[in-house]
Amino acid sequence: MGVLFSYFKSLIGAREMRILILGLDGAGKTTILYRLQVGEVVTTIPTIGFNVEQVTYKNLKFQVWDLGGQTSIRPYWRCYYSNTDAIIYVVDSADKERMGISKDELFHMLREEELQDAILVVLANKQDIPGCMSLKEVHQALGLETLKNRTFQIFKTSAVKGEGLDMAMEWLANALKNRK
Amino acid sequence: MTDSKYFTTTKKGEIFELKSELNNDKKEKKKEAVKKVIASMTVGKDVSALFPDVVNCMQTDNLELKKLVYLYLMNYAKSQPDMAIMAVNTFVKDCEDPNPLIRALAVRTMGCIRVDKITEYLCEPLRKCLKDEDPYVRKTAAVCVAKLYDISSGLVEDQGFLEQLKELLSDSNPMVVANAVAALSEINESSPTGQLLVELSTSTINKLLTALNECTEWGQVFILDSLSNYTPRDDREAQSICERITPRLAHANAAVVLSAVKVLIKMMEILQGDVEFCNTLSKKLAPPLVTLLSSEPEVQYVALRNINLIVQKKPDILKHEMKVFFVKYNDPIYVKLEKLDIMIRLASQANIAQVLSELKEYATEVDVDFVRKAVRAIGRCAIKVEPSAERCVTTLLELIQTKVNYVVQEAIVVIKDIFRKYPNKYESIISTLCENLDTLDEPEARASMVWIIGEYAERIDNADELLDSFLEGFADENAQVQLQLLTAVVKLFLKRPQHTQSLVQHVLSLATQDSDNPDLRDRGFIYWRLLSTDPAAAKEVVLAEKPLISEETDLLEPTLLDELICHISSLASVYHKPPTAFVEGRSAGVRKTLPARQGSDEVSSSVATVIPNQESLIGDLLSMDLGGPTIPTPAPVTAPTSNVDLLGGVDVLLGSGPDLTGGAAPSTTGLLGDIFGITTTPTMYTPPKSLWLPADKGKGLEIQGTFSRRSGQIYMEMTLTNKAMQAMTGFAIQFNKNSFGLAPATPMNITALQPGQSLEYSLPINPSGPVQRMEPLMTLQVAIKNNVDVFYYACQIPIQVLFIEDGSLDKRVFLTTWRDIPSANEMQYNLNDIKGTTDSVSNKMTLSNIFTIAKRNVEGQDMLYQSLKLTNNIWVLLELKLTPGVSYATLSLKSRSVEVAPFIFQAYESICKN
Repeated sequence: MGVLFSYFKSLIGAREMRILILGLDGAGKTTILYRLQVGEVVTTIPTIGFNVEQVTYKNLKFQVWDLGGQTSIRPYWRCYYSNTDAIIYVVDSADKERMGISKDELFHMLREEELQDAILVVLANKQDIPGCMSLKEVHQALGLETLKNRTFQIFKTSAVKGEGLDMAMEWLANALKNRK
Repeated sequence: MTDSKYFTTTKKGEIFELKSELNNDKKEKKKEAVKKVIASMTVGKDVSALFPDVVNCMQTDNLELKKLVYLYLMNYAKSQPDMAIMAVNTFVKDCEDPNPLIRALAVRTMGCIRVDKITEYLCEPLRKCLKDEDPYVRKTAAVCVAKLYDISSGLVEDQGFLEQLKELLSDSNPMVVANAVAALSEINESSPTGQLLVELSTSTINKLLTALNECTEWGQVFILDSLSNYTPRDDREAQSICERITPRLAHANAAVVLSAVKVLIKMMEILQGDVEFCNTLSKKLAPPLVTLLSSEPEVQYVALRNINLIVQKKPDILKHEMKVFFVKYNDPIYVKLEKLDIMIRLASQANIAQVLSELKEYATEVDVDFVRKAVRAIGRCAIKVEPSAERCVTTLLELIQTKVNYVVQEAIVVIKDIFRKYPNKYESIISTLCENLDTLDEPEARASMVWIIGEYAERIDNADELLDSFLEGFADENAQVQLQLLTAVVKLFLKRPQHTQSLVQHVLSLATQDSDNPDLRDRGFIYWRLLSTDPAAAKEVVLAEKPLISEETDLLEPTLLDELICHISSLASVYHKPPTAFVEGRSAGVRKTLPARQGSDEVSSSVATVIPNQESLIGDLLSMDLGGPTIPTPAPVTAPTSNVDLLGGVDVLLGSGPDLTGGAAPSTTGLLGDIFGITTTPTMYTPPKSLWLPADKGKGLEIQGTFSRRSGQIYMEMTLTNKAMQAMTGFAIQFNKNSFGLAPATPMNITALQPGQSLEYSLPINPSGPVQRMEPLMTLQVAIKNNVDVFYYACQIPIQVLFIEDGSLDKRVFLTTWRDIPSANEMQYNLNDIKGTTDSVSNKMTLSNIFTIAKRNVEGQDMLYQSLKLTNNIWVLLELKLTPGVSYATLSLKSRSVEVAPFIFQAYESICKN
């Protein structure tokens, strides 16, 4: 019975899920957003500000916010935290030097009260670049093992090739459904 | 728990509600919420706290919502400059939107967001929009460049937007061309150096002329205005421009017509050589100008103000159109007055009969201002059109007979001018004027009447009685009447000295002793001196032939007129003031002028001696030029305690009889000194004023100053100039502790300093304030306060103002003191460039309170032993060794405090050189 009910609920569309795509500048956030929305790679310029698009995945409607990753814009991420269902945190796997900064920003963000219930998806992006860090290495570099009380999963992706995104979205859709 | 919880935003109230509504999922709700926000913003509530939430609604496909958000952004981006960066990406996206309306909307809004931090991000989208395929976007982007230039001129130049803008001048769409040209003129005008940033070439001018016929009326105005800034290469080009512009004169929009007129007048200036062409063009200009006068009164007024300039520059254009300027009974007063002005300018022998009968009608109307101006106009006609003078005077006399108070007063004012213009012609009417003496209650009329009485004293039998009756209320009169009275009585005295000496004495004492007005006092003293020194000279000066007043009054000064002609069809031409006078932030801009051609010199010289504005007329009519000679030294004028000396002078004057040519002069010279007591002897040397506080440091307040010592009192002499735009009030002054304890003796007593006003102020100083040694010793730090700010400056006190009057030592005391002071305290100094003999040097010193105790001659050298005492009782003893005929001298100084020595030497230096 419950299964049937939730099926109907998802059919009507219910509420739009609010998802934030965050990460340092140049991690590939905007590319991922448009890959999800239109299914192809668009040329992007650094996002000074934000993009917001509607993405439908498996009958689920997402309102996806892609926020710029520049140092000057990061302080304003917090303006977007309220009512967020999930965070997609994008990491440039080839950018070993800034992995530490990326980690700091991630944990800084997760401390926010408004995000306590948000599901976290970490995307180790740019896996197509030779010599990049592996999934495990990224997992370790970000210190994800210390995360407690948080539904999260890490995926390796390549936005330009379109690899791994489906799996990540699949997991996210399920996680969001199960949460209710 | 800290107390910071008290500062967190409340979770209640209108703002909070709006915030949650803005974050609502439903689009309709969101739009409603944004509308509410805009409504609050419009009525002045501060909704800037919602900035992030409103910006988040920006990316939407709903055009209405987008417009509302943009509206919000324009208003609040300035107050949230950091957060404004979040909007940038949306602008970038919108500039690539498939809908041209959205692209244009984005580029327009971008230009209105004046936040430095984000301007550089907006350059790329702007560049794309300047090349947009849609003309609507391009024309909007063109204006955006001008806006951006205002925010950051360097950025626009670096990014090459000026070149892009120039390319738009060749755009296929006329509206784009018009906006590009408008943007370029805007940029040119705001260029800080005044250098034209973008020059128009012949080919672009051709493109503009082509676009002119196709674009909207406002585009036409832009194009015409920029054409008026262009100077053609040769006459042929000028002619072709004229020919292509002429059809614009028939346009229905008044602004287009006026702009076209402006260009044509400017081109006529260049084409002066081609008389025939100019004449035909002149003929074409008249009808459109006349047509402007059939529109509604407000437009008429603007047209009239512009026509007023045009008739001054080119009287020929409208010379046959007098009738359209006749006043209609239902014209508003401002149109009436302006029409009247133009009527006078157009008055000539050909139409004077018509004009006079009109003016006479006007003089019987009910509106006082209008009637006054009409009466004045009659007088001006008399001056301007000589053959009509007779009729004008008759008309004026008729008007005086009406006994209407203000008519009589105005008539008398203008009759005075007529007397100046046509001397010895209409004096027969003086008796009529005198009959109305009692009714005059306005200063200008009274002053004019007094002038007439003084000027024609010899023909008015009871002139002395008349003037005497005025003198009774002397103190209550307006300053200009007082000045006139003074001059008139002196004239009367010089013309009929027999029975009027008591009168002149009376008026001189009133002017010099009882008046606070420095002009009046100065003039009184000048007359007094003149009369007592050399009555013949006085006669020559006071009763000198006056230059005839020429032509018209109220004409604008030629260079200003030329500048205003360049600004026809703008506020400047309505105000009759250059834009620099009323546009803020444009003061550095270049002033426009008409192109200089050889021919233009003739024109300006034929305008003749212009000016007297009604207000300054009285000043000009005075026998004395106020701006001219004044008493050279700011002497401490002690008013004569008795009039005996003056009477002496008068006796001599009388003694030489009615014929006052020569003879009397030599015998009276001696009296001069007596009358003025100490004033004729040179006074203590006061250094020239130096700039203490420059206007840029004083927020418009400029102070120049020096120190002086007069009758034992130290003064700080200041010239305060207000170079700011508004009046300054609430002045106060304070000194820092200084070496000699100088402090203001009285508070600063300046009520207000009007813009442009300059004020001389002497501040008495007492040496009884707190003492603190300064480095350098004579430095004085001053704080001056007004309603604008507090300003600080430092100045050097010339030490001689501190020399006190009882600084003379007894010979023996001098000798013992000199011996007592150890020789370590002796300083030597060489003085150069000494002028005059030993005695004259000694006298000069005495005036500055350096007292010569003894004088000896040793081996052909003059030794002066001198002493002085400073305000803090420091004694300084000096020995000055002079060799007659040689210009240098040796000075030895002994004092218990030798620190003052360098300053004393300086003082000696300046006193000797003076």
